[in-house]
Amino acid sequence: MSELEASTTAGPRRRARSAVARSSAADRSLAVLLGVVLLVGGSLVALLAYGAFGSGRATRPLLDPLVVDSLRAQPVLSRVVAILAGVLLVALGLAWAARSLRPERQPDLVLAADADTTIVVDGNAAADAVAGQAAALPGVARARARMVGHREAPALRITVWLTDEADVVEVLLLLDEDVVAGARAALDPQPLPVAVRLELAAAGSRSGPRVV
Amino acid sequence: MRVLLRILAPVLGLGLAAVGAVLVAEVVAAWVWSAGPGLLVPWSAWRAAVEDIRWREPAVPLAALAVAVLGLLLVLLGLLARRNDIVLIGRGVDTTVTTSPRVLARLVGRRVRAADAVAAASITATARKVHVRAQGRDRAGPGLRETVHVEVDGVLDELSLARRPRVTVTVQESRTVSELASSPFNTAASANAGDERSEEFT
Repeated sequence: MSELEASTTAGPRRRARSAVARSSAADRSLAVLLGVVLLVGGSLVALLAYGAFGSGRATRPLLDPLVVDSLRAQPVLSRVVAILAGVLLVALGLAWAARSLRPERQPDLVLAADADTTIVVDGNAAADAVAGQAAALPGVARARARMVGHREAPALRITVWLTDEADVVEVLLLLDEDVVAGARAALDPQPLPVAVRLELAAAGSRSGPRVV
Repeated sequence: MRVLLRILAPVLGLGLAAVGAVLVAEVVAAWVWSAGPGLLVPWSAWRAAVEDIRWREPAVPLAALAVAVLGLLLVLLGLLARRNDIVLIGRGVDTTVTTSPRVLARLVGRRVRAADAVAAASITATARKVHVRAQGRDRAGPGLRETVHVEVDGVLDELSLARRPRVTVTVQESRTVSELASSPFNTAASANAGDERSEEFT
């Protein structure tokens, strides 16, 4: 199943969870994979050098004539395997780099779509409107919002910076009833999963509403 | 850790791609023009060198151990760069509310310090554990620990955390005002805002 299919068919709870932050699972897995290869390879070479696999083996040259001879016995196979390994490394490396450099998607919201007309709200504009409303709530110093996910399955990520006097429970209630409810009503019947991130405004920051 | 991984990931990816590209270019070049000096990399000189070096020579295990340590660091980076969010129970199934241990520590600290019996407090919070070190005022009675516990429980109840952290409270001897002024609890600048735990001092 592709990433797009997975995110459009996933339940709202899962989509809300995945909207919390950009996933770093692929980067982490690849870093661990590469690390394990280097760790195991380095350790085996060190053991070989210290004579753990026999002292005779440790006295042989790095480029062993036995290995060279066996490669020369199958020249075409050795070259094809080397080229395939190189192509695999290029593909994996470029895919990894492109994936981690690609900016996160900011999908637009499709409010209504039929055969003739499609009404689309710019994702940035919708997120800015939500952030403006959230920043005006009592107890919120500033707020930031962005649309994440795919156009077919958008989700909303809101970060609010609370003031020192803020009542967290009240802020969450107002956020849900006054801010998110409006965005959800506009998208109805399509669900809009929401991920809220709570931060505390730096001590001494002004407590008035501010939109960034 | 997450920032370091974000920076390193494209570098590592491009590095892997470069190694693969050089490998393909050199093998193809050697196939087409056999016994050449090498297209991008001087293979002939390298080959002469590695034919002379033996596995047991001291430089070999040192280089191998350096590679192994680099691999270990990458493994640790990959394992430690996870999010250490604290999840609150949101309203409805399609809302997720998260915050950081640092915010939880500040919320708990604010409430604990507001209690009359508490002169100073430092809080260490993770998703699993909240530890409060409180210092009572002179007139604070023996119930200080219970008072602090109740305050912390109150904050955790209000936040309705998805996974309730274990709360531990340590009460320190109350001190006079002059001692408090020189107390390590007053070194606000030493607040530790590490990835895994968040502390704050008053």
